[in-house]
Amino acid sequence: MKNRFLMAAPYRACTRSARVLRQAFCSIVAAGIVAAFVLTGGAQTQKPFTPARLWDGKTPDFRGIWQVRDTAYVNIEGHPGERGIAAARSIIVDPADGKIPYKPQALAQRQENYRNRATADPSSKCYQAGVPRATYVPTPLQILQSPGNFAIVYQDNHAFRVFHPDTRPHFDATDWWMGDTRYRWQGDTLVADVVALTDQLWLDQAGNFHSTEFHVVERYRMTGVDTIEYEARTEDPVVYTKPWTLRTILYRVTQPGARIIEDECLEDANGVRHHISPSDPKNLLKSDYSRWKKPAQK
Amino acid sequence: MKAVPTPYGFAVAAVVCVLLSAGASRTLTAQVTQGPSNSPNKTLPRLPNGRPDLQGLWLKSAGGFQGLFIGSLDGTNFAAGGARGGGRGTGGARGGPAPSRYEYTPEAEAERNYRRRNLYLDPEARCHLPGVPRALDQPAGLYPVQIIQDEKYVALLHEAMHDVRIIPTDNSPHPKNYWAWDGDSRGRWEGDTFVVDVSNFNGRAWLDMEGNFVDENEHVLERFTLIDPDTILYEATITDPTVFVKPVEMRFTLKRVPADQQILEYSCLEGERSLQNYTEEDGGKKVRVK
Repeated sequence: MKNRFLMAAPYRACTRSARVLRQAFCSIVAAGIVAAFVLTGGAQTQKPFTPARLWDGKTPDFRGIWQVRDTAYVNIEGHPGERGIAAARSIIVDPADGKIPYKPQALAQRQENYRNRATADPSSKCYQAGVPRATYVPTPLQILQSPGNFAIVYQDNHAFRVFHPDTRPHFDATDWWMGDTRYRWQGDTLVADVVALTDQLWLDQAGNFHSTEFHVVERYRMTGVDTIEYEARTEDPVVYTKPWTLRTILYRVTQPGARIIEDECLEDANGVRHHISPSDPKNLLKSDYSRWKKPAQK
Repeated sequence: MKAVPTPYGFAVAAVVCVLLSAGASRTLTAQVTQGPSNSPNKTLPRLPNGRPDLQGLWLKSAGGFQGLFIGSLDGTNFAAGGARGGGRGTGGARGGPAPSRYEYTPEAEAERNYRRRNLYLDPEARCHLPGVPRALDQPAGLYPVQIIQDEKYVALLHEAMHDVRIIPTDNSPHPKNYWAWDGDSRGRWEGDTFVVDVSNFNGRAWLDMEGNFVDENEHVLERFTLIDPDTILYEATITDPTVFVKPVEMRFTLKRVPADQQILEYSCLEGERSLQNYTEEDGGKKVRVK
C-alpha cells in the first residue's frame, strides 16, 4: 500500500493539483523529460548505422537499387537554376570553397569544354560515364552482391563495374571508361581504389575533367536502411594542384517492382545517338525500319 | 577489351577451333549425352536456399556444336573453312548433336539473304547490344560472362558489349509496353536447372554475323544447368512465328574461367574500330562511327 502510493505520488501531484504554479512546474518537468529523450535519441543517430548482413553473416548488405537526388550531374561545382533544374550547391566538400583545384592551364581547358559542352560531352554520345560520374547521373544503379562478390550495374548506357578484392594489384595496362576497381571493407564501409580511367571522360555536363593519372578512392557507407553516403577522393597531379573530395547521398529506390531498365542509344538519320526508352514504341524495329516486311531489295 | 572482330580475329579463332575441337569434342559429347540428372547432385556448389551456385566467370567453350563457333547457327562456319554458306556446315562434334538449321518463312529467308549481302547492317558491328541468345553465343573463348546470384536474381554481366541481364527469379510476369534489345528475362528454377523465359524484344538484334535474325516476336526459353562445378550446359529454344517455321534449338557449354583471371572492360562504341572492316569488303556504304 505504501509502495503504491509512492509510485503514484508524482502523478497525483501533477494532475490533481488545481494550482496554476504547480501545473507550470509539472509542465517544465515533463518538457525536461521529453527533451532528455530527444537528446538521447539524437545521440543514437550519431552512432554509425549497422547494415544488415549477407547470408555469410559477415558482409554488409548493400544490395538494392539506388539513385542520387541532387543535380550534381549538371556541374559538380554547383550551378544556377536553368532549364527547369533548380540551382544547386557544389558537392565538393574538400577544398572548402567547393571548387576543383585546377592548374591554370587545366582551368582554361575546362572553360573551353564548358563552352562546347552541348556537343563535346562524351556522355552526349552515349559513352559510359566513368567514375565517379556514373554514381551521380540522373538514373539509378543497382548493387549486386553475394559473399565475395560486389558489382554495380549502372542503368546509364548499361555500364557495369565488377569490384575486385584489393588482395591483387590493379590491372592498369590500359585506359578504360569504367576503370579498374579494387576494394576492401573498413568496418562497414566499402573502400574502393579506382585507376586506369581514360582522359576522354568528363566528370559532369560542365566540362570538368581529368587526365589518365586520375586516381579515385571511393567510400560507400550506409547511413540508414535506405541511404548510402558516397564519397570520392580524387587526385590527378597532371590537372589538379591538390586532391579534392566530393560527397553525395544515394537513396534506395523503394517503389515495388522497380528495376534497372535497358538503356541503349539509337542513331537517328544524322548518325547522332539518342537515349530511347524501352517503353517508347520508337524502340521497336518495325516502327522505323521500313524495308523489312516488304519485298527484299536487290 | 576493344572490339576488333577483324578477319585476323577469324583466322586466330579458326586455328584455335581446329586445335581444340578434336580434344574437346569427346568430353563434351559425354557430358551432353548424360544430360542433367534428376537426382540432386551433391557435388555441386549451392547457395543457402539450395539452388545450384552458378556464380563465377564463365567462357563459352570450344568443342561440341561447332556450327555455332564462328559464323552462324545454320551451319555457315568460318572456322571449318566455310564462309557465306559455303562451309561444310556439319559443325557438330563427332557423335554430338546435329547442328540446328533455321527454317525461315520464304519472306524472312529473302530478308536474311539481303542482310547476308549487307553485313554492315549488323547492329553488333555498331556496338549495339547483341540480344538473346547472341549475348552468350559469342565466339568461343573470347568474351567471358560473370554471374552473380542471390535468392532473388541471377545476374549475367557480359564482357561483350558490356551487356547486362539481371534476371529476377520471383516468377514475376513480363512487363507491358517494354521492348528491348535484350528483351525482358524472367527466371525460375526447375529442380537444379535455371530456366529463363525471354520476351519483349525490340526486333533489332541479329543472331550472328551472317545475317540470321529474329524480329519483335522472338521468344527464347533458356536453360542453364550446372552439370559439374566447372561446367554450365546452356540450351536455348528460339521461336518466332513470323520468321521461323519451326523453333531453333541451340546448345553449348560454358566453362569456368580460372580464378586468377578477371573480366575486362569492353568499350566498343567508345573506341569502335571494326565497322570499316565490315563495310568495305561487303560492298556496303562506309559508315563512320564517332
